[in-house]
Amino acid sequence: MTSPQDALSQDDSPADAEGVRPEDVATSTPSARQTQKEATRNRVIDAARELFDTNGYQGTTIREIASHARVSVGSVFTTFASKYEILSQVMQDRLDGLYAELDRVMPYLRGSTADRLRTMFAIHFAFEVRHKRLFLAYIGATYDWTLPTTSMLMGRNQRLQEIICECLAKGALGGDVHPEADPQEVVDLLMGAYVWTYRLAAWDDADAPAMTAVMDRQIALIATGFEPR
Amino acid sequence: MMHVTTIQATDQTGVKAPTRRALAKQQTRAKVLAAARRLFSEEGYEGATIRDIASVAGMSTGAVFANFTDKSDLFREIMMNDMVALADSMREATTHGNGVDDALVRMFTAGYNFYRTQLPLARAAFSVGWSPQEGPALRSSPPVQSLRDLIAEQLAKGVESGELRADTQMQLRADMLFEAYLSNYPQAIFEGWSIEDLQARSRDQIGILLAGARSR
Repeated sequence: MTSPQDALSQDDSPADAEGVRPEDVATSTPSARQTQKEATRNRVIDAARELFDTNGYQGTTIREIASHARVSVGSVFTTFASKYEILSQVMQDRLDGLYAELDRVMPYLRGSTADRLRTMFAIHFAFEVRHKRLFLAYIGATYDWTLPTTSMLMGRNQRLQEIICECLAKGALGGDVHPEADPQEVVDLLMGAYVWTYRLAAWDDADAPAMTAVMDRQIALIATGFEPR
Repeated sequence: MMHVTTIQATDQTGVKAPTRRALAKQQTRAKVLAAARRLFSEEGYEGATIRDIASVAGMSTGAVFANFTDKSDLFREIMMNDMVALADSMREATTHGNGVDDALVRMFTAGYNFYRTQLPLARAAFSVGWSPQEGPALRSSPPVQSLRDLIAEQLAKGVESGELRADTQMQLRADMLFEAYLSNYPQAIFEGWSIEDLQARSRDQIGILLAGARSR
């Protein structure tokens, strides 16, 4: 294992490359340390993303992540509390991009509530299928024994749940969602269907259009449950 | 097991040794399975090692390997035994149902009751169920298939009684009902939902998924 001292000297190199001179470090230690911490964090995230995507969650160790990121194991642990936290952060970083995209697209979607939901999930599948193993690592890690039970849950993706709720609220105004339909129940069913559809990618090597087709049928079925009678 | 001993003892005197050995093998297997069940519940699938299991069972790792090829073999055996028992109690529950919705709610509730006292094992099962190596085999195993069939049967009964209309979506509906049943386990495992919470949620989910098939 590399000593924390090695980690510090390794972490100095990107700061040097960005033009931070020793005297800057001496006079503005907090911000330099901040920059350095940020650089370490990004390197760990990048390395972890690659390894999870190639070897899966169980098949990747912190030691390998550290070595791939060219930082010490110790400095990985000063930034992240656990392997799961790294994975969680990797997913969060990726999803930030996805949801920025969805925020742009959603207001322009036309059609029924079911149609808008279909489009929204199709965008998810197209996005995630490019890093299938990473997503599967995320699902698998949800049930990892060593995690505290309070850790973030697969299917508890708040942003996705909000988007579904917004979709349903718009539908209730437009008249194709029953005003008394419980959004949380619809959300849970859709999330369940969404996660389960990944089995096609995991075991049948399905592509995004195949997963979208299966999800479309499930959305249609759920929609008959929330449409006005 | 006893009847095997009796038959062999009366018909083939002088070949008791292999019988006794077979009996001892059975007892060893049972001991290993009990130890493994305890450790999987306490340490989870990843945390339980063959070495620990052997030590709890009071035998060598060699003796464990003589009976099971590896850890996943052990876990599979426990899961399969459980699921056969689970399928029985779920089937029994459906017979008390008053209509399709009620039969399904009772069926799901029987499942939640079964695992309520061994949620760690359920959690380990989900973990294995999503693993690329073990997942497909577990999901397509006969006990799991029988749970799916049981749901499809309830829908068929509903069509027969005129409660539901037959349509082309019945298989998908049955699959989604099964997934809805499974999808509530995280709430039980991670958020401590009670049986009543799970039951209420199941009832609503079943209502939504059957809405399109109801006779009007």
